Formats: sequence, structure tokens, C-alpha cells
Amino acid sequence: MRSSPRLTALTVAVVCIGLVVAQDVVPLVDFFHTWQYATALALGVVVMLGYLNGALRGQDGMVGRRLALALAGAVVATVTGIVSGLLGPDTQTVRHAPGSVAPIPDLHAAAFFTSADAATIANGTAHVILRRPNHADVEIGPNDRKFLGASVLLVEPSHAAFIEARDAAGNRLTITQPTNAAFLSPVLLFPNEQEIAGKRLPFDTFAVPALQRIVKAVLLPASMTTTLRVRPEDAGKPALLYAVDDEHNTSLGLTIDPDGREVFVAGLRLRATIGSYPTLVVASAPEPFALSAGVGLFIAGLLWAGIGLFCAGALPLRNPSGS
Amino acid sequence: MRTVLAVAAAVVAVLVVIAFYPGGGPKLDVGAGGGPRMLVGAPAQSFPVKRVDGTVDGLDHYRGRIVVMNLWATWCPPCREEMPALERLYREYRSRGVVVLGVDQGEAPRVAQAYARAHGVTYPILIDEDQQYGRAYAAVGLPTTIIVGRDGHIVKGIDGELTLAQMREAIAPALRAQ
Repeated sequence: MRSSPRLTALTVAVVCIGLVVAQDVVPLVDFFHTWQYATALALGVVVMLGYLNGALRGQDGMVGRRLALALAGAVVATVTGIVSGLLGPDTQTVRHAPGSVAPIPDLHAAAFFTSADAATIANGTAHVILRRPNHADVEIGPNDRKFLGASVLLVEPSHAAFIEARDAAGNRLTITQPTNAAFLSPVLLFPNEQEIAGKRLPFDTFAVPALQRIVKAVLLPASMTTTLRVRPEDAGKPALLYAVDDEHNTSLGLTIDPDGREVFVAGLRLRATIGSYPTLVVASAPEPFALSAGVGLFIAGLLWAGIGLFCAGALPLRNPSGS
Repeated sequence: MRTVLAVAAAVVAVLVVIAFYPGGGPKLDVGAGGGPRMLVGAPAQSFPVKRVDGTVDGLDHYRGRIVVMNLWATWCPPCREEMPALERLYREYRSRGVVVLGVDQGEAPRVAQAYARAHGVTYPILIDEDQQYGRAYAAVGLPTTIIVGRDGHIVKGIDGELTLAQMREAIAPALRAQ
């Protein structure tokens, strides 16, 4: 054993630890759940175990014995990464209506999507609360990241619009979403897409049963409204394109409703507040205790070997003692 | 030599597991629904909303009583048809600690008030303009009726119109539990 195997093993250890820690840093990358990722880590383990085996037999001298601790730590961390990447649950994206509850079986938990009014949607300040039996609630807000055992939970903002419907006299009207799971929600989450003018645009559908109206709402991004016929002060705001039908699917009108403005179409006064609502993402992450222990051992082993080299006055790596 | 063979065997085993692991793509849950039945046993959520007279009210104000919470709207024919039965239930069981709570979904207070008055409804009517109760109680249609026990937990969730006999049957377990 000379410097080359030692350097190779250390380089592999650093790369493997980097790949495992990356699961915590960018947990939504699908690569972590592929066989290629697991194979790369498994090969890294082989290289490290190969060096470890020789080092424990004294083939790399005193430094090698001390580095064995670091390599053992790296192996622990890498195996943790293989386990979470390969055997951990697939990334789960949970998009639910405000006020509803979604079971998260992998965590034995339920996610409560907090209620949202127009201001909450506009500001994107809604959050998700995770409840588990005999545990404190975990609140996950916009751009938050929480670790829960071998899972990482993120909240990502998704398109949403709060719709208010009134009749011609100004009386508030019930909004329903017969085609969506949240029947009585005035918050559109735009689960569908359609192509308009060469762009894939999100759309949703709602009904106003009191007036027998069915409304398709296509979300137009701010960049599109600059080229549309809207008031100058509304140009550059996101907007909804409404297509209103009656109960017999007869088209009654089309109009564009810029964010925050009330429009009148087919006997309806509609106002959309456009913003965002959280989507909960649950991804697997390396078990934090095992990963910390592995990385800790790796650093401790490196320091120990470094001290040994320093004390022996043999800092150049190609001069191992006892070999 | 033995150690090298053991390591090689371990690596082969890992690779075999990797090769045959049944991978799956990311899962997207956009709300599977399930209706009000799935909420039985859960704590009943409460939101402050206004009554038709403008005072603030909410489900949690009725803790300690059995609540028959009926989600309704004036445009909904089955809701209108079951209102007389709800009124009878309210009068019949009020003295036994049962309250009927009509929660109008998304309509103007004066519309709900006018309807309730015209049809002799005396039980409390709440106006849920933002439809928070409808969302929280997983309503898949109107009317939706939720029975909440004295302990504030959901005893029953029912989708659709009920007769007086069905209402009596629905509250019976909660009455027996006192």
C-alpha cells in the first residue's frame, strides 16, 4: 500500500459523502432513487472496504491504521445514503385544498393544509401542519425545510387563485368544484394544463350552481397580459381567462380577469385573487443520526491521522511509516 | 484472500438487490377526497364565521353539546327539502343537549336569512362565505351533515339528504354515549 491507494480511497470517501449529503441539500432530485446512484455508492464502498482491509493489516502503516477510522465513518455514511436512496419512500408531492387533511402513510402522519382566504393566497403565506400521534405538531411554512427521521419535508408554492362570485345585485354566491376532490372550495389549484398560443397554461374549472354556470379558468402569466387587451394598469399582472357555459354546455361568454379586479360575464361578477398555495413534498433523506455519526468518524479519523503524521514529522503522504 | 472474497460477495449481493429493486416514480397526491365519512373519530375543526344577525359564532361555541352540523345552500333543492326535518329534530332534542347548526356555504347573509325566516327555521344559521367548513369536512356535495359528540370529536359524517328517522338514528350513538 502506497500513497496512490490511500489517496484514491480518501477521494472516493469524500465523493461518496458528498453524494449522500446532497440528498439533504437537494432532496427532490430523482437521481437519488436510481440504480445508477446506488451502484456508484456501492462501488465506492467496495473501494473503501478494500483500503480498509489492507490498512487494518498494517499495509499502510500507522497512518493507514488511523485512516481506517475515517474510512469506516465514510462507509457508514455511504451505506446510509444507499439505504435512503434505494429503499426510502419515493418522493411524494401532496397538493390539497386549503382546510383539508391528507394522510401521509409513510410517516404515520396527517398533513393539515391550513385554511386560506384571498389575502393568504395573494401573499403566499399559507402553511402545512404535520400531526403525528404522541408528537408535537410540525409546522412547515413557505420555503421551510424540516427533517423528520429519514424524511425531509418541503413546502413549495404552487399556482392558486381565490375566486369570489356574486350575482348582478352583488350577493355572494357558492362556488363548487364538481370535478375536483375539494367540492366546496373557492380556491383553484390548477391541476390541469392546456396549450394556448404555443404555451402550456394551467387551468381549472368551477361551478356557480345558484346561476347554473360552469366556468373554465385558464391562468395567464404576467408576461402574457402585456400583449392582451387589458387596462394599462392591469398589464403585467397575472390574470384568469374565463370561459363561461350554462348547464347545457352552451357558451355564454369569455373574458379576462386581471388579478384583484372584478369582471362581469354571463350574469356573474367574478373576482380572482391570484397567488400561491403550498404543495407539500415528502422526500427520503439519509437517517440523520447515522449520517452524522459517519461524517463525524470520517473527520475524527482524518484529524487523528493528520496528528500522527505531524508528530512523526512525515507530513508528505508518500512516506508512510512501518510499510 | 477470504476477506476479499467476502467483500466481493457482499458487493455482488448489493448489486443484485439494486438490479431487481422495483423502482417507482415520484407520487403525486392531488386530494383523493373520500367524503365526510373518513373523518369519523377526528377532532371537529371550528372556524369563526358570522351568524345571520352579524354576531361571530363557530362550532367550538357548542362544545359539550351534541351538534348536528348541516352544510347547506339556498340553491340546493335537497338541502331545502330536509330543512323541515332538521327543524323538528332541533325542537325535539334541544332539551337533551342537541343543537342543530345550519352552515350556509358561500352565500350572502341576507339571502340565507330570508330563506330561513320564510321557512320557519329557528335553529342557528351560520354564514360561511369562504366555505371553510365545506372544505374542512370534505364535503363531496350538498347537503352534508356532520354529527359532533359532546367531546368535540366527529361521530358521523353523512353525504346527502336525510329523513327525520335517519337523523334520529344518526344521533342515537352520541346520545347513548353521555
